[in-house]
Amino acid sequence: MFKELDPILHSQLRLGVISLLISVKEAEFTYLKEETNSTAGNLSVQIQKLKEAGYIEIEKKFRDNYPHTICKITSAGIKAFEEYVKNIKQYLVK
Amino acid sequence: MEDNNLQPEESLRLINGIINSAKNKLADDGFQFIFWGWLVIVCAMTHYISLKLNFEMGYMVWIILPPLGVIVSTIYGYKQGKKSNVKTYMDTYLGFLWGGFIIATIITLAFGFAHGIKATYFFLMILYGVATFITGGMLNFKPLIIGSLFSFALAGISVFLGNVDQFLCISAALLCSYVIPGHLLQSKFKQQAKNV
Repeated sequence: MFKELDPILHSQLRLGVISLLISVKEAEFTYLKEETNSTAGNLSVQIQKLKEAGYIEIEKKFRDNYPHTICKITSAGIKAFEEYVKNIKQYLVK
Repeated sequence: MEDNNLQPEESLRLINGIINSAKNKLADDGFQFIFWGWLVIVCAMTHYISLKLNFEMGYMVWIILPPLGVIVSTIYGYKQGKKSNVKTYMDTYLGFLWGGFIIATIITLAFGFAHGIKATYFFLMILYGVATFITGGMLNFKPLIIGSLFSFALAGISVFLGNVDQFLCISAALLCSYVIPGHLLQSKFKQQAKNV
């Protein structure tokens, strides 16, 4: 029987963000916005959902008087991503 | 990127696309290689020419230029770090590699001369070779790997040369392992930035 895919990750933008964060140590909000080609509003909502799920950490910093939002994947996020990839493979191998 | 639900095939394509694009991005603009390559070549050749002309104070160039180089290089690195909006694992590993290289170079320069100029320059060329060999492997950039092999070979050759000729040898090693790969790295980096 097919395992249900994690609804937090099974969305284009959230999956894009997690895929980006798994390949880097940490990334600023602006980097995620550029790479995912998303709007700031939508991205804010989606990273908040990832944070609430415990998949990413968000740190707010000030640099030269400008706010910077830094995102980092957590170990729970890595585990969820690995599980998601494993489950998705079940759907593809028919 | 819209926030809609995906088909499993789409999910996998999205993950692969993003991870591959991050993996293939060149993490180094080549500036430090070009800058330090030319700086040390200028020092070595100035010292070499001054010895050939029997000018005793030629070694002073080593006391003046490298500390200025450290200031320029640190400011450049700091500014680049501030500009960057992502920190990759590659940045961290390269930082540790070159940090270790700097410490090893300082120790070699500070204590190596007790064993003579030949021994010092031999170790310096080996160090250049090791650091560029690993960096080339990490960045998957062949010119750095090939350049490092020249550095190793020149270190071996230097043992058979006289003291004054060590300066020519180290200049050639830097040209092969820093300057030429550095310029190639820079042009590839610029090309990549243009294509984004």
